[in-house]
Amino acid sequence: MITQPLLPARSHWRAAALLASALFLFGAASASADRLERHFKVEAHPVVTIHNPNGTIVVRAWTKSEVMVVATRATPQIEVFVEQTGNRVDILTHQVSGAATPADLRADYEISVPENAELEIHDDSGGVNVSNVLGDMNVETIAADVALQDAAGYLTVKTVGGAFQCLRCAGRLEVTSISGSFRLIDLRSYSVRAQTSTGNILFNGAFLPNASYHLKNYSGLIEVRFSPGDSFDISATSLKGKVHNEASLTPSSHRHFIPRFGNALFGTFNAGRAKVELSSFDGTISILKRD
Amino acid sequence: MSTTGCNEFVGHLEQWMEGERPSGSQAHLRECPNCRALAGDLEAIREAARTSAVPEAEPPAHVWVLLRAQLEQEGLIRDGRRAGWLESLKAHLGGTFAILPRPALAGAYLAAVIAVAVALVAPGVRQPDESRWIAGNQSATQPLSAQLASAEQDTVSTWTDSNPAVTASLHQNLAIVDNYIALCEKSVLEEPENEFARDYLYGAYQQKAALLAQMSERGE
Repeated sequence: MITQPLLPARSHWRAAALLASALFLFGAASASADRLERHFKVEAHPVVTIHNPNGTIVVRAWTKSEVMVVATRATPQIEVFVEQTGNRVDILTHQVSGAATPADLRADYEISVPENAELEIHDDSGGVNVSNVLGDMNVETIAADVALQDAAGYLTVKTVGGAFQCLRCAGRLEVTSISGSFRLIDLRSYSVRAQTSTGNILFNGAFLPNASYHLKNYSGLIEVRFSPGDSFDISATSLKGKVHNEASLTPSSHRHFIPRFGNALFGTFNAGRAKVELSSFDGTISILKRD
Repeated sequence: MSTTGCNEFVGHLEQWMEGERPSGSQAHLRECPNCRALAGDLEAIREAARTSAVPEAEPPAHVWVLLRAQLEQEGLIRDGRRAGWLESLKAHLGGTFAILPRPALAGAYLAAVIAVAVALVAPGVRQPDESRWIAGNQSATQPLSAQLASAEQDTVSTWTDSNPAVTASLHQNLAIVDNYIALCEKSVLEEPENEFARDYLYGAYQQKAALLAQMSERGE
């Protein structure tokens, strides 16, 4: 006689994961251990949150249906909490003692996630590096630099002073900073909003049809690269700075509010299928041919 | 065909929103989808403010005193209709404040004040001569500037963070924003009708409000 399980195997581990929400504490009690490795079974589209005041966070996608967290802490002055609740994994670095130097409070993470994972990352200082993750993500830092590679989804990045680089990203991107510079390389995004105060902005990516690209700073350089086959309608305005242009533009048919001040350039390149808006207060805007 | 252009229509937008409908503007609106959309958006915003007015907790009274003084100084309050609009806006913002958690209140409050000020000095309410532009800009920016300075003093005096990299970054970037505010204020003073400079100035104000709110929340 063959006994059938009451639930399919998949449901068994799902129930186990939901019921046995695990809390792992990597704390002061295990003072000699400064490396933690934990694995969590997850379903599609898991959510992973990471809160780390100081240290590097490296997130990579892999093909397994699990989240692996490898944490390395500098000293026992901090605890690392890793908790799974359903299809969500929360990772938190917590200071145990008030009397610690900044170096004591550093924790570095290497995290592997399914490629459709959604990420929420807070890292004040150190650095954030995410690659091959296709889910939505929100990254906030103060001084930490942020680097994304082959990411997609709805990407929102906010830094105070950290630089940002996006390599081969797709989807929708919103990035803001005060003094961080942005490098947007080989981008295939249909919506880009990038604003920084003193940072430079380099855009060297595809201008997708019906896509919009808004790049804005106060000072510094905004550099946009284009190819002969690109198609965009562009406006570029710098109040106190210069606008350099290598594109052969035809007059745009739908410009209404031409500013009376500053240096401005409006026009259409080829069919004008993408919308590009560049603005700076006293920075330089360069629209250059791609090498 | 309409002889009224987009710039002219936008210049009379305030009167349009007050119900004055010259034939030239009407003709232009029939022909121009962008201006039609703009007028429609403003009407929708006004309607939303009117319909969402509910009795809720109020922001500090001096906000409305400040706004009223500013409106009167700029000669924008002429009859009961505009005051009614202001009351709706006040109630609308009051409702928004009521649902916000306390830590977010300071930043949201400053951001809202700045947003209202942006709306008040937008191209739609432009003044006919430069002296009024200057007066309008000053009356709009000076209270904001003073409030931000006060908020900065409060925040920085109580600010502590164990991470020197974070402390240095926040102070450095606050100085950057302050510098841009000074540059933009100078630019607005030199060219009072420069919408571009004014946009950047209010953007810098908002950036500073957001940064102070971030510092304030970390300090709690």
